[in-house]
Amino acid sequence: MDSTAEYLSLDEPTRSSHLWKYTPWRRIHPTGDITSIPDVGTPRLRLVGLDGGDAPEGIRLEKGVMSVSGLPEGDVVTGSFLQAASASSQWILRIEPGFSSQDPVVLDIDVKGSSSILHLSLDVGRLSELELITRVRGSGKWFGLLRTGEIGAGAVLNDVVVCLQDEGTLLRVDSIAIGRDAQVRAGTVSSGSERTKADLRYRMGEPGGNLRVLGSILSVDSMHIDHHVEIYHDAPETFSRLTWNSACGGDSRTVGTGMLRVADGSRGADAAQIFHNLLLSADAEADSIPELEVLEHEVVGCGHGTANGPIDEDQVFYLESRGFDPSEARSALIAAFLNSTLSEMGSDSLHDWLVELLNSELRTPDA
Amino acid sequence: MAMGHGESDIEALLEIRNLHAGIDDTQILKGIDLSIAPGEIHAIMGRNGSGKTTAANIIMGHPDFEVEEGELLLSGENLLELEPWERAREGVFLSFQYPQAVPGLQVGNFLRKSVASIRGEEAAKGADFRRELNEAMDTLKIPRNFLSRYVNDGFSGGEKKRFEILQLLLLKPKLAILDETDSGLDIDGIKTVAAGINAAVRGTDSGALIITHYSRILEHVQPDKIHVLIGGQIVATGGPELATQLEERGYEWLDSKAEVEGIA
Repeated sequence: MDSTAEYLSLDEPTRSSHLWKYTPWRRIHPTGDITSIPDVGTPRLRLVGLDGGDAPEGIRLEKGVMSVSGLPEGDVVTGSFLQAASASSQWILRIEPGFSSQDPVVLDIDVKGSSSILHLSLDVGRLSELELITRVRGSGKWFGLLRTGEIGAGAVLNDVVVCLQDEGTLLRVDSIAIGRDAQVRAGTVSSGSERTKADLRYRMGEPGGNLRVLGSILSVDSMHIDHHVEIYHDAPETFSRLTWNSACGGDSRTVGTGMLRVADGSRGADAAQIFHNLLLSADAEADSIPELEVLEHEVVGCGHGTANGPIDEDQVFYLESRGFDPSEARSALIAAFLNSTLSEMGSDSLHDWLVELLNSELRTPDA
Repeated sequence: MAMGHGESDIEALLEIRNLHAGIDDTQILKGIDLSIAPGEIHAIMGRNGSGKTTAANIIMGHPDFEVEEGELLLSGENLLELEPWERAREGVFLSFQYPQAVPGLQVGNFLRKSVASIRGEEAAKGADFRRELNEAMDTLKIPRNFLSRYVNDGFSGGEKKRFEILQLLLLKPKLAILDETDSGLDIDGIKTVAAGINAAVRGTDSGALIITHYSRILEHVQPDKIHVLIGGQIVATGGPELATQLEERGYEWLDSKAEVEGIA
């Protein structure tokens, strides 16, 4: 059955499903008519260096889609919908084996018009080293981003997705297989789109994989930002950490759900997930639900936790005693909170770039 | 011509008059009078719970504390009308007993922003600022990689206290309040911190109020006056010899004085 037929055969997912508890599919679908797969446009793509110049040789965009075995099982509704709708907007980001770049590379995705979609296949060659920033921006009303792919054996990848869509809805699905001994930092920075639904899945099916999933989320006004992160340890000696920081202001809502699965036979797996929510107003709401499913007894550790709270008034007083006015103190504390995860996403140059971006976003939040 | 009351106010760096204050309907300070002239270092000593930290927080303007009565003047200006950040910009500095950790806020950025807020943007820029920063860090034996750490996050007790004094040196306040900056420090740490305090105050028009339990730091930062706080009131004021007396005799010999005055 092709993806179109598969999608059309499905029932609407209900709120009893972990994935759809907080954000119904009907609200995320491009038209709201979930029985349709509408025609959608393609975004403009540009692969450049951090300074806006040409990307280095050894990394390129090609038309097409890559078939990858060992991808994590994803949600069938969004998976089949995005595959069907993106049939004419498929690109492969190919990184040659052994490729190495000291400077981050930026994949700019400019979304315009009523709706657009992209299926991006990541082909990260073995033993390559790269910092990749995928930046989504523009005034599009609806954007669907499906990222599938494989991180080759021994590769070192800092993969940061920055979501800065001016308005509208973002539907994002990642389905990434992590190769043997690969080291991956998967960062998400989000302070855009009115509605975001993201389902990020990583499968460590080879021994020695090392994954850090990091989120810096800023929701303001009446944004609704929902991320589900699922990490599947399916091989021995695999390591993962999920740290997700959300600052939630206005009457916005953030949702962070995590699923940490350790398959039988994944001896020596070491996994943990933590969600922190900083509530910036009385009307803001944050929900975090970390879950574990551990089928292997001989693990180093598997833990999870969540913490919610407002800005710490003692921290505010400390900064005010150093001359920060109340607004500066508040902004500095929000930035610090988000920076705790931002600073872990990659190199100093990547971090500096992200901090500048964050500061520009913080200049006008209605928090 | 006789000097009027207002003229003498302007001479004092810090003037506290009949200060009554507390928290959550509990009165802690019960009529404090204290005057620090420019260039002077005073110390307040007292047991736990005597009101020392409350006094420090009130001078800085902590919102949880309420002033019921009295005056608080910095170079003649009424501090009670100012918010904490305005007091900081007017030249009040508090070295906290327990400085707050701010994970995610880098020390270097925090210092630049603090200096810019208090001394102006120009003071936080360029080679002069870097030289000043390096000199202050050398005085306090703080390594350069400290700047990339997060504010007080994972700092040892000694590192926190040195960082407070680093801020004192860079912010150049008119009045430094040092709330138990010596507690938790070993003798080398006390000497280093004392060197920082002396560098910030001695030979300047600034003043300092050192709050401490112990006389050790006062051997390295000779105070001009020592005040003993019992039950929210100053029951004794003297020179450096008072610290020696307290070290030898404790506070009990002053309890009877407090009782006579109806304080304790």
